[in-house]
Amino acid sequence: MRLLENGGDPATPLESLAGTNQSDVVVEMPGDTPFETAADIAARASRIDIRFPKFRDGRGFSLGAMLRERAGFTGEMRAVGDVLPDQVFFLKRVGFDAVAPEADINDEEWSQAVNAFTVVYQPAADGEETAIRKRTAPHGDQDREVQDRLKKLNERYRGASAQDIIKAAWTELFPGRLAVMSSFGAEAAVSLHLAASVDPNIPVLFLDTERHFAQTEQYRQTLTDKLGLKDVRIIKPDAEEAAEEDAKGDLWRTDPDACCALRKVRPLAYALDGYDALITGRKRFQASTRMRLPIFEYLDGRYRVNPMADWAPEQVQAYFKEHDLPTHPLVDLGYNSIGCWPCTQPSSDGGVRSGRWAGRDKTECGIHFSFGDAPGKVRRAG
Amino acid sequence: MYQYDEYDATLVRERVEQFRHQVDRRLTGRLTEDQFKPLRLMNGVYLQLHAYMLRVAIPYGVLSGKQMRTLGHIARRYDRNYGHFTTRQNIQYNWPALVDIPDILGQLADVEMHAIQTSGNCIRNVTSDPYAGAAADEIEDPRPWCEIIRQWSTFHPEFSFLPRKFKIAVTGAAEDRAAIRAHDIGLKVVKNDAGETGFAVFPGGGQGRTPRIAPLIREFLPVQELLAYLTAILRVYNLHGRRDNMYKARIKILVESLGADEFRRQVEEEYEKIAADGSLALPDEEIERIRGFFPPPPQAESAEPVQFSDDADFALWRKHNVRPHKVAGLKSVVISLKPIGGTPGDATSEQMEAVADLAEQYGFDEVRVTMEQNLILPHVREADLEAVWRALADIGFATPNAYTATDIVACPGLDYCSLANARSIPISQEISTRLDKSGLIEDVGDVTIKISGCINACGHHHIAHIGVLGVDKKGEEFYQITLGGSHSDDADIGSIVGKGLPGEDVPAAIERILRAYLATRSDGERFLDTLRRVGEEPFKEAIYEAA
Amino acid sequence: MKMISSNKLTDGRVIFWTGAGWSADMKDGKVLEDDAADAELEAALKDEATEVVGPYLIAVDGHDPAGRERLRETIRLTGPTTGSTKYVHGIKPGTEA
Repeated sequence: MRLLENGGDPATPLESLAGTNQSDVVVEMPGDTPFETAADIAARASRIDIRFPKFRDGRGFSLGAMLRERAGFTGEMRAVGDVLPDQVFFLKRVGFDAVAPEADINDEEWSQAVNAFTVVYQPAADGEETAIRKRTAPHGDQDREVQDRLKKLNERYRGASAQDIIKAAWTELFPGRLAVMSSFGAEAAVSLHLAASVDPNIPVLFLDTERHFAQTEQYRQTLTDKLGLKDVRIIKPDAEEAAEEDAKGDLWRTDPDACCALRKVRPLAYALDGYDALITGRKRFQASTRMRLPIFEYLDGRYRVNPMADWAPEQVQAYFKEHDLPTHPLVDLGYNSIGCWPCTQPSSDGGVRSGRWAGRDKTECGIHFSFGDAPGKVRRAG
Repeated sequence: MYQYDEYDATLVRERVEQFRHQVDRRLTGRLTEDQFKPLRLMNGVYLQLHAYMLRVAIPYGVLSGKQMRTLGHIARRYDRNYGHFTTRQNIQYNWPALVDIPDILGQLADVEMHAIQTSGNCIRNVTSDPYAGAAADEIEDPRPWCEIIRQWSTFHPEFSFLPRKFKIAVTGAAEDRAAIRAHDIGLKVVKNDAGETGFAVFPGGGQGRTPRIAPLIREFLPVQELLAYLTAILRVYNLHGRRDNMYKARIKILVESLGADEFRRQVEEEYEKIAADGSLALPDEEIERIRGFFPPPPQAESAEPVQFSDDADFALWRKHNVRPHKVAGLKSVVISLKPIGGTPGDATSEQMEAVADLAEQYGFDEVRVTMEQNLILPHVREADLEAVWRALADIGFATPNAYTATDIVACPGLDYCSLANARSIPISQEISTRLDKSGLIEDVGDVTIKISGCINACGHHHIAHIGVLGVDKKGEEFYQITLGGSHSDDADIGSIVGKGLPGEDVPAAIERILRAYLATRSDGERFLDTLRRVGEEPFKEAIYEAA
Repeated sequence: MKMISSNKLTDGRVIFWTGAGWSADMKDGKVLEDDAADAELEAALKDEATEVVGPYLIAVDGHDPAGRERLRETIRLTGPTTGSTKYVHGIKPGTEA
């Protein structure tokens, strides 16, 4: 959040842009501009100044929030006019980058205003983690430094393409310490294709739970060949542990959480030494617990990069089509989300994870939770 | 009851420091009064006639003994030894110094309380059924939802500068004891055919200058969608509510001018978009965490019938002030803050501390504040009723008049309030004294009398069976009488009956209304039902009989 | 005749403009001719920066409130008429003073 003096530098009034089709415009609009009008301009604006005629007039807060959240505007957004220091925190939260107030604000007031609160209750465009999210996805080991880095990364890559995010992660942010985690499931082809297009040498980790559908094994081979993946690493459950905990091979039936712990969570924990960050194919629309999925997050000592976090289902379909990617053989049979055979059924209502753990109160397998809270204890290797 | 975790506690602490800083800036001239006013208002600090007034939130009316004791302590240390419980489950201090308020807020923060958003054009303290968790007719305890709304609405980045103030009320019982349809949004907990919990949503109600009963726009909202739907309503209101005229800026005017159907369409359209993002969907884990703070009521050790002493005063008090409970062997006790001739809703430090003791000793450490400006001990063992009654009598809090005609609601009026046109409290004192002497109270039964000192209607006169509205006529106080309002499931706005009366004529006029009712009613008919059956004419005649 | 009244910034108490400053005692208040009142209010308003809140003109008859707002100003001067203030002395509500 920046403070601009003397009202900032001028922008072109909205009305003088009507009828033109200039791109990269710097536009000023009043807070009561209808959202549709504002969104039209936002599509070709590099900066939007929203004017607050009176500090009491809070329409600009909604307009700003909607430009970020709904119109997907990623350019600079400024609040100009009658803005009080005590509103700056709220402006920052709804997605403003800078404030150009009419009255002067001194440094002390500014820093107090920007940092007024360290806790927030509402999800907003600033991506700040809400109290609810902190409570429901606790990560007590996450230190300040990581928090700050996450915040910066999420701000910097807001609106960036998935490919650019992967490229930055591979070449700049986590060089040599990054892998793709893939289930070779229904939508896996997209993240693998994205990664391969950046560099086919990015390691791909595949968890072989020994409970996968035969079609998944087959699909893994097909994709590896087609995308030219050069480094696919297959991770299996510890044979000793499997013999001890799942002697009859039916743990999935009696205790699916324990089964996930044995076959997914722990093997992955063993395999992850040597990586600082993992690329996942997770998307916000996939499950209710993923609704505030950020691009970068930090779970159990490792960064997760979710380059496709804000993808819509249609985007996934379009990507398959555009790049002529093979689909998982089971998708044609009605499976939307594909895990291990015992715990996956065809879905009926179209929810993308709706066939997983059908009939049970379970939506996540444990890999995507912090390991410390995952079902079953993590037994550290060595 | 809910207990703050580190996040809640941190936020309230940070707010205290922010306000301390704001006060410093005002005192040193860095903030003009114009700039400071909206900031202090969002912290519940008004400037009234004689002094500042601090309004402290009692979220959904729930207090622990410790919190009640702190309220008493603050009254003694920083104020004139008393506080005033309001119709919106707040307490107001009438005499704090501005320079002391940051310290007061610090002491409140120590017991997990605050004054955040108790004024200003933002989402105010969420209110609820004072019998929540105890009422025999409850569908589900509304308090977890109130707490979820409290948190969501606190420092909402998008909705802190609304066109006008915004009040939300939630009930979870069959009978509406929270006046939900007289709120900007009323929520009623309902169950669908599958037995799932959801909300019926009523936006656009309100009192004030243009009283409206809220229409129903959503019959069943799944609970996980609560915040997404509230956000949709608030966003439509924030963008489209009027800002050119403060008297037309409440959501009720927007709902009325668009019509309920068009308003519903806009809200549903916005809601669809918000829900698609999904970030406001409430995780079941969080719902369960918050529900965990509101366990089922305690069990009475014995449900055996209790043999009460034959003290007639105790029997009368039991008749009016003891209410049914969902658990056999327990009762809810109404602590009347309406002594005959006293100030409705006032309590001294000593009284507050004594109630705190009673809550801890006999009430499972819970106290509630009601929109009738009384207190409630929601869970009391039947065997303890007599001890509680005697202790209340010792502090002047055992008036046996809950929900009777002397249980009068009154705003502070011109004795304190800078917006008032006329006094409310002295009128209520005169009415209560006169009706008490009249000997009619037992006979007339369920009659509500509520008094406001101006059209803002803080005294809820619009939703009273008999309402009294103070007006100013060329510097003289006059009082208009309204008849037929109700806050409950038969919610209605009272209508003004004829011209205003001078204050000294009001108590006698009200006594004549009640006598007219007794003369007109059929067997067992309530005042409101008689009025609805025969119309206002006989009552109008009674009011102006002597004039 | 007019007087300028206000509330003290630090504690909100009722005060009156004396011509040179502010006093809690209305008897110290400077009584102004109607046509001089606005100019004097301008001068008093300067104190709003750090001392008082919202100074305004009240109608007076000598040193007593007068005119349409007489009741309101009298209550400001003498306190609530409700008897609540007697609680200060520890008397229970509902009992005679």
